Amino acid sequence: MMRNAGTLLLVFAALSFVAPASAQTTSYDDPPAISLRPFFLASGQNFTAKETFKAVFGRTVEPFWGGGAQLAFRNGLFVDVTVSHFKATGERAFRVDGQNFGLGIPLTVTETPVEAIGGYRFYVSPRLVPYVGAGIGSYSYEETSDFSTDDENLKTRHTGYLVTGGAEFRLGRWLGLTADVQYTRVPGILGDGGISKEADENDLGGVAARFRVIVGR
Amino acid sequence: MRTYPARVAVLAFIAALTASWIVRGQTAANQSLVVIENLGLPAIDEGVVEDDSHAPNTAEAIRRRALGAALAAQRTGQGTGRYAPGRVIVKFRDGISTTGRLTALSTASRTASLRTRPSYADFDIVSIDPGEDAEAVARTLRARPDVEYAQPAYRMHTQFKPNDPLYTQLQWNLPLIDLESAWDIQMQAGSAVTVAILDTGVAYDNAMITATIPAFFDENGRQYPALGRVTIPYSAAPQLASPGRFVAPHDFIWDTTTPLDFDGHGTHVSGTVGQLTNDNIGTAGVAFNVKLMPVKVIGSVWDDLFGAPNEGTDDVVARGIRYAADNGAQVINMSIGRTGPDNCTTNSNVDGCAPAVEAAIRYAVGKGSFVVIAGGNDFEFGNPTEVVAEIAARVPGAVSVAAVDRRAVGQTGGHRCQGTAAQPDCHAYYSNTGSWVELSAPGGSERGFGRDGFVWQQTLDFRFTETFLLEPSQFRAPRFDVFNYIGAIGTSMATPHVSGVAAMLIQQGITKPAAVEAALAKFAVDLGAPGRDNTFGFGLVDARNALRGLGVAR
Repeated sequence: MMRNAGTLLLVFAALSFVAPASAQTTSYDDPPAISLRPFFLASGQNFTAKETFKAVFGRTVEPFWGGGAQLAFRNGLFVDVTVSHFKATGERAFRVDGQNFGLGIPLTVTETPVEAIGGYRFYVSPRLVPYVGAGIGSYSYEETSDFSTDDENLKTRHTGYLVTGGAEFRLGRWLGLTADVQYTRVPGILGDGGISKEADENDLGGVAARFRVIVGR
Repeated sequence: MRTYPARVAVLAFIAALTASWIVRGQTAANQSLVVIENLGLPAIDEGVVEDDSHAPNTAEAIRRRALGAALAAQRTGQGTGRYAPGRVIVKFRDGISTTGRLTALSTASRTASLRTRPSYADFDIVSIDPGEDAEAVARTLRARPDVEYAQPAYRMHTQFKPNDPLYTQLQWNLPLIDLESAWDIQMQAGSAVTVAILDTGVAYDNAMITATIPAFFDENGRQYPALGRVTIPYSAAPQLASPGRFVAPHDFIWDTTTPLDFDGHGTHVSGTVGQLTNDNIGTAGVAFNVKLMPVKVIGSVWDDLFGAPNEGTDDVVARGIRYAADNGAQVINMSIGRTGPDNCTTNSNVDGCAPAVEAAIRYAVGKGSFVVIAGGNDFEFGNPTEVVAEIAARVPGAVSVAAVDRRAVGQTGGHRCQGTAAQPDCHAYYSNTGSWVELSAPGGSERGFGRDGFVWQQTLDFRFTETFLLEPSQFRAPRFDVFNYIGAIGTSMATPHVSGVAAMLIQQGITKPAAVEAALAKFAVDLGAPGRDNTFGFGLVDARNALRGLGVAR
């Protein structure tokens, strides 16, 4: 049994190397004129509002999950639309002389960015396609906590801006994996109250490491 | 026939054993007052009773103060100065030998001698002739390089203005600091927290007291007859006492472990901190599940008449503070104080300042105790500097508390005063103002609201305790087993509001005294000039805001 399983693993491993190589001679060198490519997204964002997030969540990096679609043109231009989501529960706190004190009252933050990016893909290699882009987003933000009235909770949406750069690794004719770094700036949500005001932090954006699985050529 | 004497002998032996056990249970070091604990009938709770004898500035109130002064003078044979005669508090620098200390003392006074260092003190008490000027001796001592500080034993007093009870609208003061919402957040209301009440004692125990009441002269020279040896019933306040409620009681006026309240002030203050609540009886307290540590550091008229060996001076208070900190108090409520010079901030080692108390406060904060101090009631009497409250302003982790009155209630947009934002109109008329004021809390006032403007709690029924205010022919022994709800005003009443909220905050996990202070100040409702001001400090303490803290963006 163990020998069979080992053999199976080796076969899969071999196939994973062989498949990209075999595709090089087909579609990689020849992207379609226009291609609509859906994708799934997982990212980890290191928020610019470090002190705020550290006080409430005890950390500054939070995961986002989402998906979207990309319209890619043969000339290298592309347009992405991404919808992602982040939800985390921390605790209400206060801050004195740079020190944070948690109060144990649960607080939940939900952020749902809808982002549109335009950019350029560099076909430098059949298996590796670097790209850069910039865009605009609409960021929905919701903050609720125990023992709060509706007035004290917050639900709002603001516009933000972003730039991104990374590369797509072609895993096969119809499958790609992207890794990029995205910088986002989202003013207007933080800084008017709460810990963010205390910490003088007014940007809900940050630097995200994003990974996407793209389906399509 | 032969067994009868044997039975008598056995019974006599048992009786003797019981008597010796009872005597061993007595905690009084001074035989002029004998307290047999856990003996006595339950208290009599008279509810709210009209009692017009406790309005501020009535003849009775003035008499009470004057009588206390007269008794002190009779006891000491000296005038009732600002300090106790016959002793000086001295802190020598580390490493000074006994010989060195004695040499230092000899330069200051020919009669100076070093007493045995008292418990819970990092200073020495130097005895001098009672006729000597203690301030002059202290000045000479503190000029020496081997002396860290020296000061007379200044007298402290409670910041209390009692008044008469009323049934209606008893506790406007608790909603004012948004307590109902705070209780939603903090259901335990400080159950794991100990609040020390440094005051006139607390009615925390049932006991039978035996004391000798001597003849005395009142402030008008009228002689009151000696009552001789009397037995006095004492009961725990029904709305304070519950199993496990009181921890580490200590009496620095009598040097015992039974700090019984013969005045009523400490019991009233304790009620505001932690009156039993949600039991369909009486009034509510702020942090109604806290443990209370009664520490008696202020004497009363009855303590004087019973012959207490100590009075509420700086050294006694300093020891009480250290005791509370050493025995685990997370909050120390000091509804007490005294006035003094206004230059202690720059140098506390001068006449009138309280370096011994300051050192004790710093020690307590260092041990993790949050210290809350009354801001003083002398605004209309020249608004002098409150020396102990002023210390609080210099120590992160200790706060001084001013009083607001009922005009702070129910204004639109939060708990704002009547009047304009720039000139708020809820400063309690008696509450001192000054650079040391850090927070405000409800202290009440009869002006504009009459008896509806007081702070109400259960305490000893003064009609049964203040028999010294009766005519000499009617003078009788007091009883301390009758309780009712008394309306009182003063920064003494404001202070326990802050202590209670602090206890709830500590229960919430904020244990550093400086952080507790910062939270209370940060989340106070700003009154008066924006930011801190000399009237309201950072503003009116707000329990809900403090416990709830801040979110990310709200």
